[in-house]
Amino acid sequence: MQMSYHLIKAGINLYAIFKNLEDLIEHDEECRNLIKDKKLSIQFSVKNGPRAWIRFENNVCQVGQGKIKNPSVILWFKSPEHLNKMFDGQANPIPLKGFTKLGFLTKEFGQITKKLEYYLKPEDVKNPTDAYLSINTRFILTIAAFALSEIGKYDKESKITASHIPNGKIQMRVLPNDPAVFLTINNGIISAEKGVTEKPDAVMEMKNIKTANDFLNGKSNPFLAIASGDVIIKGQTPMLDNLSLILDKVNKYVS
Amino acid sequence: MKTYKYNKSQELFKKAAEIIPCGIYGHFSPAPLIPVTDYPFYVDHAKGSRFWDVDGNEFIDYMCAYGPMVLGYNNDKIDAAATAQRGKVNCGPAPAEVMIDLAQEFVETVDIADWAFFAKNGADMTTFSLMVARAHSGRDKIIRLKGGYHGTAPWSQSPDHHGITFGDAKDIVIGEWNNYEALEKYIHKHKGEVAGVISTPYHHPTFADNELPADGYWQKVEALCKNEGVVLIIDAVRTGFRLDYGGSNEYFGFKPDLIAFCKAIANGYPISALVGTNDMKNAASNVFHTGSYWYSAEPMAASLATIRELKAVNAVEKMYNIGVKLGDGLVDLAKDHGYNMKRSGHPAMPYFRITDDPSLMLHQKWCGECTKRGAYFTSHHNWFVSAAHTDEDIHETLKIADEAFKSLKEK
Repeated sequence: MQMSYHLIKAGINLYAIFKNLEDLIEHDEECRNLIKDKKLSIQFSVKNGPRAWIRFENNVCQVGQGKIKNPSVILWFKSPEHLNKMFDGQANPIPLKGFTKLGFLTKEFGQITKKLEYYLKPEDVKNPTDAYLSINTRFILTIAAFALSEIGKYDKESKITASHIPNGKIQMRVLPNDPAVFLTINNGIISAEKGVTEKPDAVMEMKNIKTANDFLNGKSNPFLAIASGDVIIKGQTPMLDNLSLILDKVNKYVS
Repeated sequence: MKTYKYNKSQELFKKAAEIIPCGIYGHFSPAPLIPVTDYPFYVDHAKGSRFWDVDGNEFIDYMCAYGPMVLGYNNDKIDAAATAQRGKVNCGPAPAEVMIDLAQEFVETVDIADWAFFAKNGADMTTFSLMVARAHSGRDKIIRLKGGYHGTAPWSQSPDHHGITFGDAKDIVIGEWNNYEALEKYIHKHKGEVAGVISTPYHHPTFADNELPADGYWQKVEALCKNEGVVLIIDAVRTGFRLDYGGSNEYFGFKPDLIAFCKAIANGYPISALVGTNDMKNAASNVFHTGSYWYSAEPMAASLATIRELKAVNAVEKMYNIGVKLGDGLVDLAKDHGYNMKRSGHPAMPYFRITDDPSLMLHQKWCGECTKRGAYFTSHHNWFVSAAHTDEDIHETLKIADEAFKSLKEK
């Protein structure tokens, strides 16, 4: 596998998959209880690869890119491939700091990531509840948005696609009450944020959680969804067309 | 004013989506028709400037089948010519005499044409034009311009598109419309490497204002290509016979080596043509390019009748005048309602945009409101008028547009 494959996959694992930990803590009571009153931060550092941090404080989880000041724990990976193997359950990180916190990592944090995995595999869930679908939809939307950024930066064809997208903002949203993400394109660089932006240049809205879940998980016919108005696209839709070219690559990089 | 419903269109699309890729693929995909629920997906019948969808809704058509309709749907004269030919032969084991008659008509009508070659679609001819340019020059590189559309053959698409490889795009160089300096710089830097430059006679991308050539642009490009041995190819698939009978290039005052035609040359019968100068004929003869239906005589008869009828009814002048009336009316109406409507491109195939919202969402809403009241407007593509559009059509259209503007305020 080429280096860029592992680099992109590592970026998606840290910036897109792990980003969901914020919403997991917010929306799953069991996970919220696991970090109750905890105050610590974990720095993930990958040699020749991405860096990200997770912070648990005030019963809230934050996930960010880059370095955090004075992390409680530092986990080091000798390559993007090493990080990816950890995500696949086939390798362990190398702890550089925070040996006294390793218990949290193996116990509570391990349970949290297991729950994250549960919400990311709807195919393993018989008769998913509305609450499950709502969380799964939120997570898939987040992964889609944040993965776009990494793929657009490093994937050979996607770099071309990203360069064709005019500067502006694209909103992706589930009606009536969100979740929502938006992308900002600036000179071919795509960055993602959760939430709603003012005056987007292009919009994709899915009429409800069920429609969004089916659409994002590839269970519905996307052409039918758009033609029927269940999924609404408007504005500078060539931006969405180009985005969809990059989105089509997500499955290549997400386990 | 009544607004339309499209229950049967939706029902048909559900079936189509099961057994046809995309349901409706290509440029007829409903995806750019926004909001999609304001648009019909299937046509039932058509006559003159109008069509009726499968739900029985009537529309004044400002897309003209995306260009092919130029004298009115089911034009009696054109259909009679086609029928007469079909009664003798359409597809046979050899071409029919009408092929020679049609070639002669092109040679006599199009100023630069010393010969004509026939196929089915515009992309057959844009692709052929590249092959002729390479055969003539012995060179590989082709310059096409960013935002220009020449069909869907792999060479004309970006290598990041599904099914396209970097190999497909090899030797295709992307230039910029109206940027003569960049074109000159590239051709001089790569002296002896560029086989051809392909461009539409003016810039008519989707989702953006159309742009006419800058003063002197084409004259400089023509001179540059002649001096450097580069074949100048005009893709007049969309503009052909709407701007000038002698070729869209004549409208802008320059002479290319090759011109590709399609859309309006046969009022909807399937045929395309590449015409060229005598200098190009040898290369065109050497290139092997053919297709099963390229010799079918019925569309040739229709094309011959169409070109003659276009001239007989002063179609180019008619379309220009109708286009100006439509444009003036819409711009004034928009202003009355407090909006700014920008028009661009040639009046016979104008692009309109309400500029008050740069995201296009307001314009999309307005086009949808017009469409569901019976004036078929798209928001992403230039429109087309035909010689069958009348002053009454324009009058009715402006009434619809007025209602549509009012509805924007209500929402």
